[in-house]
Amino acid sequence: MQQYRFLTLTALMAGVTLFSSCSDDDPEPVVVPPTESGIIEVDGGGATYPNTAYIQFRTGTQTAVARESWDLAFATGSEFKVLINGTTGAMASATGETDINVVSSADMSAADSAALVLSFTNLEGILHVDDPSMPLSKPAIAAVNSTEASNEVYILSRGASGVEAKSLKKIRITRNGEGYTLQHADADAADFISVDVVKDNDHNFVYFSFENGIVDVEPAKDSWDISWTAGTSSTPYPAATTGILAYFFQDLVYQNIYGGVGAASVLEADIAYADFTEQDVNSLTFDSSDRLAIGSTWRNGGGPTSSPAVKDDIYYIIKDADENIYKVRFLSLTKDGERGKPSLEFELVSEDL
Amino acid sequence: MHRFDLNKYFIICSLLFLAMPIMAQAQAVLQGKVVDSHGNAVSHATIWLADLKGEVADEQGVFSLAELPSEGKLKISAVGFETIWATWPSGKTTETFVLTSSTSDLETVVVTGNFEPQSARQSVYQVRTIGAEVIKNRAPSNIQEVLSTELGIRFSQDNALGSSNMELLGMSGQNVKILIDGIPMVGRQGTSNEININQIDINRIERVEIVEGPMSVVYGADALAGVINIITKSDASEKFDVKARVQEETVGNEYSPFDGKGTHIRSVTGSYRLKNWDFGASFSQNNFGGWKGEETGREYEWLPKDQNFLNLKAGWGNESLNLEYQLDFLDETVFSYGPEARLEMLDQEFITSRWMHRLSGRWDTNSKFGFTWQGAFTDYARESQTWVTNVRTGEHYQSQAPGANSTIDYTGFSWRMIGDWKIADKFKLQPGIDLNLEQGSGERIDENEGIQDYAIFLSGEWSPVSTIKIKPGLRKSWNSAYETPALIPSLNTKFALNENLDLRLAYANGFRAPSIRELYFNFFDASHSITGNPDLKAETSNSFNGSLDWKAQVNPTWKISTVLGAFYNDVKDRIAYGQDPSDIQVTTLFNVERYKTAGLTLNNSHSFKNLTANVGFSYIGRYNLLSEEQTIVPDMSWTPEVNTNLTYLILPWRTTATLFYKWTGALPGYETITDSEGNPSATEIMLDGYHWIDISFKKDFGKHLSVNAGARNILDVKQISSTSGGGDAHGGGTQRPVGYGRSYFLGLTYQLNK
Repeated sequence: MQQYRFLTLTALMAGVTLFSSCSDDDPEPVVVPPTESGIIEVDGGGATYPNTAYIQFRTGTQTAVARESWDLAFATGSEFKVLINGTTGAMASATGETDINVVSSADMSAADSAALVLSFTNLEGILHVDDPSMPLSKPAIAAVNSTEASNEVYILSRGASGVEAKSLKKIRITRNGEGYTLQHADADAADFISVDVVKDNDHNFVYFSFENGIVDVEPAKDSWDISWTAGTSSTPYPAATTGILAYFFQDLVYQNIYGGVGAASVLEADIAYADFTEQDVNSLTFDSSDRLAIGSTWRNGGGPTSSPAVKDDIYYIIKDADENIYKVRFLSLTKDGERGKPSLEFELVSEDL
Repeated sequence: MHRFDLNKYFIICSLLFLAMPIMAQAQAVLQGKVVDSHGNAVSHATIWLADLKGEVADEQGVFSLAELPSEGKLKISAVGFETIWATWPSGKTTETFVLTSSTSDLETVVVTGNFEPQSARQSVYQVRTIGAEVIKNRAPSNIQEVLSTELGIRFSQDNALGSSNMELLGMSGQNVKILIDGIPMVGRQGTSNEININQIDINRIERVEIVEGPMSVVYGADALAGVINIITKSDASEKFDVKARVQEETVGNEYSPFDGKGTHIRSVTGSYRLKNWDFGASFSQNNFGGWKGEETGREYEWLPKDQNFLNLKAGWGNESLNLEYQLDFLDETVFSYGPEARLEMLDQEFITSRWMHRLSGRWDTNSKFGFTWQGAFTDYARESQTWVTNVRTGEHYQSQAPGANSTIDYTGFSWRMIGDWKIADKFKLQPGIDLNLEQGSGERIDENEGIQDYAIFLSGEWSPVSTIKIKPGLRKSWNSAYETPALIPSLNTKFALNENLDLRLAYANGFRAPSIRELYFNFFDASHSITGNPDLKAETSNSFNGSLDWKAQVNPTWKISTVLGAFYNDVKDRIAYGQDPSDIQVTTLFNVERYKTAGLTLNNSHSFKNLTANVGFSYIGRYNLLSEEQTIVPDMSWTPEVNTNLTYLILPWRTTATLFYKWTGALPGYETITDSEGNPSATEIMLDGYHWIDISFKKDFGKHLSVNAGARNILDVKQISSTSGGGDAHGGGTQRPVGYGRSYFLGLTYQLNK
């Protein structure tokens, strides 16, 4: 088994080398065939998992971005919705006001502040985060209304999960033609800054940072398949306000639902990873609406006598935007014993024809 | 990493003893013999001379004295016999002394809390002793096995770290002062913040004394629930003594001979006496192979553990001055194997090393004043290492990732000095000083100045009439790190109501100091935000204890002893975790909670010919904190326990059969649940009770060899369930491990002395 994989990998690398040397001589654009298999050591950044890593199997590449490099994600396409940064545990509350200058953190009660802290004791936390599975369908910030006066001011906690806590912000977002206008300020400030955001339809979202303005975060929507990140997740919990508790989980895997990527899981007991072929694909249903289809299912949480570990009885099938089918399994939570650097391997099952 | 080769040490020890010159025995002028009421020799009786120097008789009950004791007075005690005061008849050089037998606990000598060894019956403290015979008969592989069948003691297993946490009379182990020969142990560890009592060489333990109730006047911080004083073997009584022990034990149904699975104990001890000097050395290995239980892969339910112990000592003494230095070294490795993985398998090793230097002594300046001192310097380090095995390349290396390896270091210095000033026959004073300096550093502990604690204490013992003893005490301490209680008082009294009945009543103030960890802990990562609180003050308690002790001899072969005890402890300012009000993300510690315990204990012993039977019952109440918020929750939840020890001497076979039984009753408690509306309510939870039986046999072959065999955990208990719905990442879930199933052992002890 081990030797076999090693050989494919070697063959692949040799192939890539050969191919690139060919392309030097050939001025014509070349259709790059999808990568057949590989091992990816995910660059999560280490034990404090500072990064979100976007992975594309077709190219066998990844892009790592600091989780706290952005604050707001403006939806592109036809929708007018804005997400907050779930990868830092950000939370937002509507204030009922539409004038940003009348809102101040000084007016917040202790309960208002506590509601904006992501913790196991915050039973209403789920009301203040984007839906962990389908963020655009239930965002913390209501869809931006075409009626300017219907858009409320929100108090935004920029998240303190695995990152330094920052002071609260107040924001108000309105439409600006096909784009957005963002008003923002520190939550106790007397005046505000206004920024226009233009949609970029090559991307799922346009990302904004209070410090750096528009920033590059997510690769183009057809340039990534899955991402590994720490982020806000949820779990059924009867005592929570809606029976669902929002909490922060450090090993989430999202598939690119807004870029048309689907994911399905297969148990080793049903079909062994090595035996999974193109014929088995038909039996699967690919989920491209719940980005937590893989989520945290790939690892065990550990317990009093065991540490967290990759589950060895499950693997995943990914259908990318080009209809290439990959089988993917996670190998490790660590690199040289360091958490936040998981490894996975993938293999092309069928190519788009 | 240190690894010990037993063979190497055995050779070194052997050479050490061979190299010592064989010295001529000092000329004895007086020779005595100790016999029982049938005229049979009593082995190893202790002869206490009036100046409190001790001698020990040999196997044949013979002892010799270099000179006539002052006023010819001597005290003779032996396990299983009544202690007598005798006078050496003037003019005679040989004499025979007759001891009458007793049950072993009728006349036990105790040292805890007293200036000098004292009969348990005379002590103002109600001291429970687990005697040398009991320990020998039981052939334990660790001290937990001995303590866990005692009334009021519960252990909960921390199988993630391969250690265990103790509870004494409803109070957690961090409230129990663990002493070794009166010297406090350093190295509180883990989330339970307590001394790991199993990091003591079982082969060195002579007996264990347990004092219930606070002894903070004498022993200072943490002696709030009580004191467990582990008395090590003195060995010094023989001219020359070599002992070797080998014991093999199954761990449940898992065993492989001498290595790997099972428990493997090896120990060699030697001592040598030369005029005023005595020397000793011992080395022990205690290897526990772990227990897989339900685990099928690389993991273990009970982690494997290797322990190596080394003890060296040298003593010097004359009529008025005794000095003893001891060095104890511990090396322990606990192996935690990670799960199978496709790429990287991670294993952890928890390595503890402890160097403990002790200097104790006693100086009798004259018959009116003497003092003892006990000093210790301990260097305790616990290292966690992470090892990576790459499945695909076969590489095995230590991880260098941040946080993969960590060390916590504690150093402690303690010095306690107690004077004993006999002002009059009916009145004596015991002044004392107690210094404790502790430093802690390492991962997750903030830079700190350590804790320096200086205390003086004074207790007096007044005996207005011979049947009454009153012992008041006061302690004043100064601490560099936390607020100490102003003055710690205690009052212990003992009334001999009649010849057979003693009443003890005591009040004491106790306190538990915040530990270095509670003061300076600092652990922040993505899923933890925990910090210590340097402003913590000590927890304090008010405790009341009483006991009635009735002893009677029904006829020459039947003796009865019954002790009825009651206690009540009220703890204030208990340290508990809570949310930091300035940042509710952060968990820290506060002096917020209240806690109480109360209970009754009843102990009944019979000694009838060759049979000793002991039946005990306790009923202990633990405070429910939730009763402050929820009216339906009772103030206290009560738990019964029953234990029985039976020892039968099968004379024709020279075999002792011992049975230990304990029923640990179900432990109720309350926890908060929240309904779908978010309203909290209290629900009763229950931790199951369980029964435990150990049986052991000890047979002597000739003078030198004895064999122990038996079975532990006869009822095959593995885990008990709890109806608690709670439990976090570090909690035990709903099943709590108790044992690893029925185990069998066979051990040999060889002793050579003269």
